[in-house]
Amino acid sequence: MANQDVDELFEVKNSFYIGNYQHCINEAQKLQPSTPEVRLERDIFLYRALIGQRKYGVVLSEIKPSSPAPLQALRLLARYLQSPDGRPTVVSELEAQLSGNVDLSNTALLVVAATIYCHEENYEGALRVLNQSDALECRALMVQTYLKMERPDAARKELKTLQEKDDDATLTQLAQAWTHIATGGEKLQDAYYIFQELMDKNASTPVLLNGQAVCFLGQAKYEEAEGALQEALDKDSNNPDTLINLMVLAHHTAKPPEVASRYLAQLRDDHKTHKFVEDIKIKEEEFSRLVKQYAA
Amino acid sequence: MLTKFETKSARVKGLSFHSKRPWVLVSLHSGIIQLWDYRMCTLMDKFDEHEGPVRAVCFHQQQPLFVSGGDDYKIKVWNYKLRRCLFTLLGHLDYIRTTEFHQEYPWILSASDDQTIRIWNWQSRSCVSILTGHNHYVMCARFHPSQDLIVSASLDLTVRVWDISGIPGKPGGLRKKNVSPGMGGLVGGDDHHTRNPELFSTGDATVRHVLEGHDRGVNWAAFHPTLPLIISGSDDRQVKLWRMNESKAWEVDSCRGHYNNVSCVMFHPRQELILSNSEDKSIRVWDMAKRICLHNFRRDHDRFWVLAAHPTLNLFAAGHDSGMVIFKLERERPAYAQHGNLLYYVKERFLRRLDLTKNKDVAVMQLRAGSRSPVYSMSFNPAEHAILLNSRTHNLDNSTYDLYQIPKDSDPQNPDTPDSKRSAGLTAVWVARNRFAVMDKSHQLVIKNMQNEVTKKVTTQPCDEIFYAGTGMLLLRDSDGVSLFDVQQKRVLGTARIAKCRYVVWSGNMTTVALLSKHTILICNRKLERLCSITETNRVKSGSWDDSGVFVYTTSNHIKYALTNGDHGIIRTLELPVYVTRVSGSSVYCLDRQATPRVLTIDPTEFRFKLALVQRKYDEVLQMVRGAKLVGQSIIAYLQKKGYPEVALHFVKDERTRFLLALECGNIDVALDAAKALDDKGCWEKLAEHALLHGNHPVVEYCYQQTKNYDKLSFLYLITGNLAKLRRMMKINEIRKDYEGWYTNALYLGDVPERIRVLKACGKTSLALLTATTHGFTQEAESLAAHVEEGVMYEPLPNAQLLQPPVPVYPSDTAWPLLTVAKGFFDSAVGSGKNAATASAMAVSVDDAGDIAGDGWGDEDEDDDVDVPMEGGEGEGGGWEVEDDLDLPPDLEGVSTAGATDGEDGYFVPPPRGHPPTQGWTQRSHLALDHVLAGAFESATRLLHDQVGVVNFEPYRSLFLSSFAHCRTSYPGAPGLPSLFSYPARNWRTATHKDHLPALGLKLSSLMDRLKEASQLTTAAKFTEAVDKLRGILLAIPLLVVDTKQEVSEAQNLLRVCKEYVVGISMELYRKGLGKATPEEQCRSLELAAYFTHCELQPGHQILTLRTAVNLAFKMKNYKMAMSFGRRLLNLGPRPEIAQNIRKVVQVCEKNPVDEVSLQYDEHNPFTVCASSYVPIYRGKPEVQCPLCGASYLPEHRGITCTVCTVAQVGKDCVGLRISPLQFR
Repeated sequence: MANQDVDELFEVKNSFYIGNYQHCINEAQKLQPSTPEVRLERDIFLYRALIGQRKYGVVLSEIKPSSPAPLQALRLLARYLQSPDGRPTVVSELEAQLSGNVDLSNTALLVVAATIYCHEENYEGALRVLNQSDALECRALMVQTYLKMERPDAARKELKTLQEKDDDATLTQLAQAWTHIATGGEKLQDAYYIFQELMDKNASTPVLLNGQAVCFLGQAKYEEAEGALQEALDKDSNNPDTLINLMVLAHHTAKPPEVASRYLAQLRDDHKTHKFVEDIKIKEEEFSRLVKQYAA
Repeated sequence: MLTKFETKSARVKGLSFHSKRPWVLVSLHSGIIQLWDYRMCTLMDKFDEHEGPVRAVCFHQQQPLFVSGGDDYKIKVWNYKLRRCLFTLLGHLDYIRTTEFHQEYPWILSASDDQTIRIWNWQSRSCVSILTGHNHYVMCARFHPSQDLIVSASLDLTVRVWDISGIPGKPGGLRKKNVSPGMGGLVGGDDHHTRNPELFSTGDATVRHVLEGHDRGVNWAAFHPTLPLIISGSDDRQVKLWRMNESKAWEVDSCRGHYNNVSCVMFHPRQELILSNSEDKSIRVWDMAKRICLHNFRRDHDRFWVLAAHPTLNLFAAGHDSGMVIFKLERERPAYAQHGNLLYYVKERFLRRLDLTKNKDVAVMQLRAGSRSPVYSMSFNPAEHAILLNSRTHNLDNSTYDLYQIPKDSDPQNPDTPDSKRSAGLTAVWVARNRFAVMDKSHQLVIKNMQNEVTKKVTTQPCDEIFYAGTGMLLLRDSDGVSLFDVQQKRVLGTARIAKCRYVVWSGNMTTVALLSKHTILICNRKLERLCSITETNRVKSGSWDDSGVFVYTTSNHIKYALTNGDHGIIRTLELPVYVTRVSGSSVYCLDRQATPRVLTIDPTEFRFKLALVQRKYDEVLQMVRGAKLVGQSIIAYLQKKGYPEVALHFVKDERTRFLLALECGNIDVALDAAKALDDKGCWEKLAEHALLHGNHPVVEYCYQQTKNYDKLSFLYLITGNLAKLRRMMKINEIRKDYEGWYTNALYLGDVPERIRVLKACGKTSLALLTATTHGFTQEAESLAAHVEEGVMYEPLPNAQLLQPPVPVYPSDTAWPLLTVAKGFFDSAVGSGKNAATASAMAVSVDDAGDIAGDGWGDEDEDDDVDVPMEGGEGEGGGWEVEDDLDLPPDLEGVSTAGATDGEDGYFVPPPRGHPPTQGWTQRSHLALDHVLAGAFESATRLLHDQVGVVNFEPYRSLFLSSFAHCRTSYPGAPGLPSLFSYPARNWRTATHKDHLPALGLKLSSLMDRLKEASQLTTAAKFTEAVDKLRGILLAIPLLVVDTKQEVSEAQNLLRVCKEYVVGISMELYRKGLGKATPEEQCRSLELAAYFTHCELQPGHQILTLRTAVNLAFKMKNYKMAMSFGRRLLNLGPRPEIAQNIRKVVQVCEKNPVDEVSLQYDEHNPFTVCASSYVPIYRGKPEVQCPLCGASYLPEHRGITCTVCTVAQVGKDCVGLRISPLQFR
């Protein structure tokens, strides 16, 4: 059945949002874009999926200086994520771009900017960038940014606008699940159902499984959490979220302390710049200081 | 009207249902009586003996009999088993209109155009009574189902009710109470009546009521099955309802609507309905109470003549001008939905829930009144606990659906009627957690939300029904197929062709689906790709997927199974149709037509076996084979047909079958064995043929040898290059005088002299000569030439050459190299089965051991009971609470509105950041752990310092950091962005942002378990490890959070136990470190051992300490002490051998109860041991304690770090252990 409003890129986008990067890449490569606009959009998602897979090198080598502006933005993001040392330069480059006349239709740039700001914990900056656009994705990112700022009330409000736009979109559903988790209590079950539904509809991914696991852990359903996390671990053995959640799970199920410390060690090895690891580092130093203080 | 079956024939005048079998008798105007099986839709028999139309026919309820009456004035009684007429009752003088068997008596009732009604006894084959009174044709006469009454209808415009209680000839005793007292004695009179009925005698049957009111002749009259009501139909086009009592009868009302003669009319056997049919070509259904026409079923050309109801089922038959139709008034399929172990179904006006595992059936809610039409189908939403009920009316356009929220808890006796959201629509099914799809009467699809508001309109291809297909999907049905439709993408993902699919059954994991139509089952995968299809002769009713992926379904008379590869078969037969709701193990859960849940037991062996074969789970196959319930020719045939000869091979004992199967699966070894057993020429040949194909030439050779097939054997040797054996063959042929074989072999070998010999031997001398000359054997040639006559000399060919067979490169006497074939499961199954058994046995024994060990330490923790010390920190707690109020989170609402208004002005001002829940934890709780989890190490250390005097925090490092690491979970948000953190709450059910507290990992019970481990280590004398473990517990206790006073005291108890053990064991370690050289050291050693016996250990451990002390004291000749230790030990009840040993020691000591050396030890004066210097501190003497573990110290040790827990400052003034919010109240 030929339908005009069928989104050619539906599968590509959808699998990207739920973190099924390989499927996204496969679909993108299979696709025969009908127009140049679609082709560009496809490329954006293709490269974003590659970034999601931490294949920064591929992105950097494939996006040429002659490539269109949205792709340039992605190149920036790849550079940012690739090397922690080069981050300040990337940020200043970004600031320079944003201070000029920003093309608001270039959603990719806005998303990249927000992403980098969020990594920099400059949430206000991220919000300012995102607020300019009406795109669904920008609004979803705003929800997440609000949650990052521990402002679930603001997140809920933003979620409403998102729901008015398109309640059934995957991004809306995901944003709703994030907000539910942040709200906690009975909403955790709702969040669980959202993740389950997305899994039923598409495929299970570490992103969705971790979301579910967080719901389970929040509800003290440790057996179920273990199931979800084990599946997530099978799919990606080095996902920081999975490792963190497994660590929490081990603690709550009274596993020997070595189990948890193994996950922590793996985190420290592979995700040095992860906020979680950094927090632990800070706390270690604080503790040492306190030990000295009391010993004196 | 749901038509079940139709026949085409001449005009149908009479109908009768069989009470048990799916049969109906049809009498035709053409004089034929047909017997139909309406379920199988076949004509079973024809009875053609009447001349002229047969208007009356009736089955007997129990006997294999039926009675018919025709225009030939004859009443015939038939036996349908014998397929013949038994006898004919003669007496009527005109057409016979109706005949009927009595329910109990051996009676037949007949009505005739001769204006009489007659009662016949079919056992004595005579007329019992003749009822006269009608003065026109009697069109119909019926017995009352329970009383001695008859109703008759006549063209004389009346309906009459007759009292037949006075008729003699009823079997005695059956209904004595109805027989008037005087009649019982008149036996002679009875006989007289039966034999010679008096034509005009009416003494035994009397007219009770004459019902007048019809304006034309009355065609039919019938009693109500239970109420004193009569219904009649007449040529005046009316149906009249009459009521009667003992004394009179009167007209209640008329049903007007038919516009031609009403030919037949009846009450619905179980509902308040009246059915009538007419020559106006319609059947009408009337409401008995309101006398209004509910339904009108019309045919185009056929006038209706007769109606019949099934005695027990909701089935009706109607006869018309060109045949008969069997129909139901309404669907009998209950609406149900199954989720997990719960089955929801509608019964009467209630939604009921059945827990299939617990077999608990409760009504959860009452359905809203107002919809007359029954619930057609339902769709259940487990996430929202909501249900969609679809109601269909006869006019589909008026169908509605209701959206109910199922009440969480409801009184099963009197369930609530929750509000529903009702809208028009054909079908509503869930497509997501909070969305459902509705197909409206114009077949448009809309998506609605939980508020029943339209969120989206979806255009689809033309379709007429929708089915559930998982999240975001729907199945759309059109006339020739079903399509899988993605609602979000508005795309068709797959299509399956099946005519008029009626039901859709998904498997539990949504990977396979069964589409059911009237006679077909199509099984597809998730993408609607066809896996198999099955055609049934009977109607397919329902189905459900077994957990193992077998589809179990019911037809109108069978439970059957289907595998996804298309294998299917009958499991068992069914009396009545049932609707399968779930299959689990050998139980089939189903609903019957009364919506009563039932559980049927089936034998799943057959389909399990086949499934195991398909899935190649040969261990299961083997297990079932060993169970040996299945073995039979049919299963072997099945295995062979389906390509599992190797499996079948393992079933078969019969050698011939075994041989054939072995050949089929290429197992030459087994075939050889079988062939040896059979030793049959045909077998050997067949085996040789197969072995040759396999290249297994030793077997081929063996076969040829067995069959003595020399030619083939020779050739085999030739091609395998086995020249030695070839030569031997030649010799054998020579001995056998088989010249041809001999010569052939010589030729094969290229052996010219031998050839000459052969030719010579068989007298072909000239040929021998030729051979000799050709190959240059001149000597031979010369001697031969002498024997040859001149004339028969052949000229040697000038350029003849000797053909030599090629020299074998690799003369192999073993089989040619074959491809290696992996050993099949069945080749190794037997051995491994045994191994598994031993392994599991070992596992069991290990488990047992574990249990025993656990029990040994299991119960001691509960015995100790220590009073909770009074808290001293209440004042402080109060102070904290004030702070609590002050530190409420900032007014978020105000700020965010401010942000929003700014946004409208065009400037977007991001709102200020909020605080993570962790911040609240430190404000709400004064428990150290909450602060640690919140990452507030500073306040956590301060709390520990203040509460239990901790000064050395280093041992706490890992505890602090790991606890902190566990306080939050992490979940990814949008791709690329840093993950979000979530903070699991221990009070998550009720927690809001304001009273959120972190979830706890460390539990008192797990510390108890660790204590058990430490205890085991102590028993095993692994003292260092034990101390480490105990210290670990000690350190963790202040980081507990518990809820009850009891747990607080348990924790304190635990602390004390750990302390005692650590002190004791440290002392023992210290003692072991001492030298034994000097007497002082020996004294000290004994002292320490004595102190150790006073540590509060478990009896088991105390026995150990006492044994050490006894030995030491005895060695040091401190007999008095040894005696005292010994007695204490005996009081603890040690094992007998130890007790005996100790008793001896005690006896020895009793003889000389003195101490050689004096020690700093007074056993009668209670004391504690200084944990630093290991000297006793007798009661009342000054001492200082560790604020955490409570270890005692001599006052001079004040201020040191406790040696027991290693963290707290001895003698520090502290609040005490705080591990529960209760301690702050």
